[in-house]
Amino acid sequence: MFAQVLLSGIANGCVYGLVALSFVLVFKATETVSFMQGELLMVGAFAAVLLVEGAGWPVLLALPVAVLALFALGALLEAVVLRRALGRPHLTAVLLTFGLGLALRGGVTMVPAATHQLHRLDLPLPGVIAIGPLQVAGAHLAVLVATGLACAALAAFFRFTRAGVALRACSEDPRVAALMGISPSRMHTLAWALGAALAGVAGVLLAPLTLVHPGMGLIALKAFPAAVIGGLSSLPGAIAGGVLVGVIEALSGLYLPEGAKELAVYGLMLLVLLMFPQGLGGRGATR
Amino acid sequence: MRRVGIALALFALALSGGGWSHGLAQLAMVATWALAGLGLVLIVGQTGQLSLGHGAMMAVGAYVQACLVSIGMPSPLALLPAMAAGGLLGLLASLPGRRLGGLAFGMSTLAMALIVEELLVRLVPWTGGAAGRVVPPFVIGPWTLGSPGGQAALSVAMLVLAWLVCRRLIHSRLGRAWRASREDESAAAAIGVSAGAVRQQAFAAGGVLGALAGALSAHWLGYLSPEQFGIGLSFELLMMVFVGGVRAPAGAVLGGLVMVALPQLIATLRGAVPALGSGAAGLELLLFGAVLVLIVLARPAGLAGGGR
Repeated sequence: MFAQVLLSGIANGCVYGLVALSFVLVFKATETVSFMQGELLMVGAFAAVLLVEGAGWPVLLALPVAVLALFALGALLEAVVLRRALGRPHLTAVLLTFGLGLALRGGVTMVPAATHQLHRLDLPLPGVIAIGPLQVAGAHLAVLVATGLACAALAAFFRFTRAGVALRACSEDPRVAALMGISPSRMHTLAWALGAALAGVAGVLLAPLTLVHPGMGLIALKAFPAAVIGGLSSLPGAIAGGVLVGVIEALSGLYLPEGAKELAVYGLMLLVLLMFPQGLGGRGATR
Repeated sequence: MRRVGIALALFALALSGGGWSHGLAQLAMVATWALAGLGLVLIVGQTGQLSLGHGAMMAVGAYVQACLVSIGMPSPLALLPAMAAGGLLGLLASLPGRRLGGLAFGMSTLAMALIVEELLVRLVPWTGGAAGRVVPPFVIGPWTLGSPGGQAALSVAMLVLAWLVCRRLIHSRLGRAWRASREDESAAAAIGVSAGAVRQQAFAAGGVLGALAGALSAHWLGYLSPEQFGIGLSFELLMMVFVGGVRAPAGAVLGGLVMVALPQLIATLRGAVPALGSGAAGLELLLFGAVLVLIVLARPAGLAGGGR
C-alpha cells in the first residue's frame, strides 16, 4: 500500500515538476512569473485530444505534435503580446500572462465539445504492470519515463546546443550576451516557446492520469509551491520540488485526516519560505 | 474628461439591461466590489506587494457577519467585529512579509487564502461547511434592507466613507511610508521606515476594507458557501484593480464597474445573438482576459490612470 501510494505520488509530482520547470525556465530567462502555464498545459492536453479523437491520429504521433503545437503557440503569444512588455516594469508581463491565461481558458470553454463531454486520453500501454510484488499503473510508469527523457533532453539542449548556451548566457546577462552576437529578443521568443512546450509536455502526460477538462489548469496552483520550494532559479530544484510536493500530497492523504492533503503542501511551502527564503535549491535570486 | 467619459459609459452599461430595481441591485454590486478593491489599492498600489489572497479577507468578513447576525446581534453593530476580523487576518497574512518580499510574499498570501478556504469547509458548526448557510437581511433600527434600493444606498454610503478614509491614509505619513517602501526598500529603511511593519499596516487596512465588502455582500446575496470565496475570487479582485488602475482609489470604482458591466454586456449580446447561448461562460472569461491584456498594453496605469 505504502509503495503504491508513494509511486502515484511521484508520478503526480513529476507532472507538477514539469510545470514548475516551465515556470522556472521562463522566470530565469525573462524575470517574469507566468500565470498562464496551467492554461497552456490544458491547451496542450486538448490539442492531443483533438488530434486523437477528432483527426483519428495514433496517440504516439499525436503527443509530440501537440507539444510542437504548444511550442508554436508560445512563440506566437510572445511575438504578438508579451514582446511589448520588454523594458516595462516586471508586473506588466505578469499581468499579460494572467490575461492571456484567462483568454485561453475562456476560448477553450466556449467550444461546446470541450465542456459538454468528458475526454480521456488512453496510452497504448497495459493498464497495470507487475514489477515484483508491485502493481504499477502503466500511465504512471509512462510519466516517470517521459519526465526523465524530457529532463535529459533539456539538460542536453542547455549544455550542447548553440541555442541552449545562448539562452543561458542571455538569462545570465542580456547586455553582455548581446555584445557576443546573441539576439536577446530571439532568446525571449525561444524562452516563452520552450516554456509553453514544457507545459504542453506536462499536459499530455497528465491527460492519461486524469480527465481532460477546461479547469485542469488549476494544477498550476500545485506547481507554484513546487517551484518556490525548489528555489525559483534552479531547474533541477523545480523537478525535485515537484516530486516532493507530489509525495507529500500522497502521503498526507494516506496518513493525515481528511482535508490535510490540500493544506500540507502549502504548509510546507510557508515553512520553506520562512526558513530558506531562497528555496531549497536556489542561490540568491529571490526577488 | 476622457476618464469621466469612460466612467459614465461603464456606469450606463453596468446598470442597464433591466428596470429600476435591477439597476439598483447592480449598483450595490459595483459598490461592494469597489469597497474590496479599495483594500487592494492600499495593499498592491501603495506598497507594491502582490496580494493573492484578498478573497479570504472578504470571506472572513462575510462569515463573521453572518454568524453574529444569526445569534441576534444588530447588523450595523456586527460590521465592527467583522471588519476587526478582516484586519486581524490581514496582520496575520502579512507576517511573512517581515522576512519576504515580492513574489515569495505573494505566494505566502496565496497559501493563506487556500488555508482559509479549507477552514470554511471544515468548520461546519459556524460556516455550515460545503452546504453553505443562509444570511438574514440587513436591519437598521426599524428598516429592513430587503430591496435593492436600500442595499444600494448603504453600499454607496459605505463606499464614500471608505474612499474618504483611503484618501486620508494615502496622503498621510503612513501613505508616504507605504510608497517609500514600494519604491526602494533600503532607502526607506535608511530614513527609518521598516518595510515589514508598514506592509503589515497596509494589509491590516486592506483586510478591514475587504471584510467590510464581504460582510455587505453576505447580506445582499443572502447565502454563503465556501466556493464563492475560492482562489478565483482573489484573482478576480486583483485583475479588477489592475484594469481600473491600482495606484488611485478611483481605479477600484472603475474596476468594480467593469466587473459588473462586462457580464451585463454579455447578457445583452446573448439576447441579441441566441447562438452564443452555450458559450457565454467562456466568452466572459475570454473578454475579461482580452480587456486585461489590452488595458495593460494601452493604458499601463489602468483606466483611472495617474495616481501616486
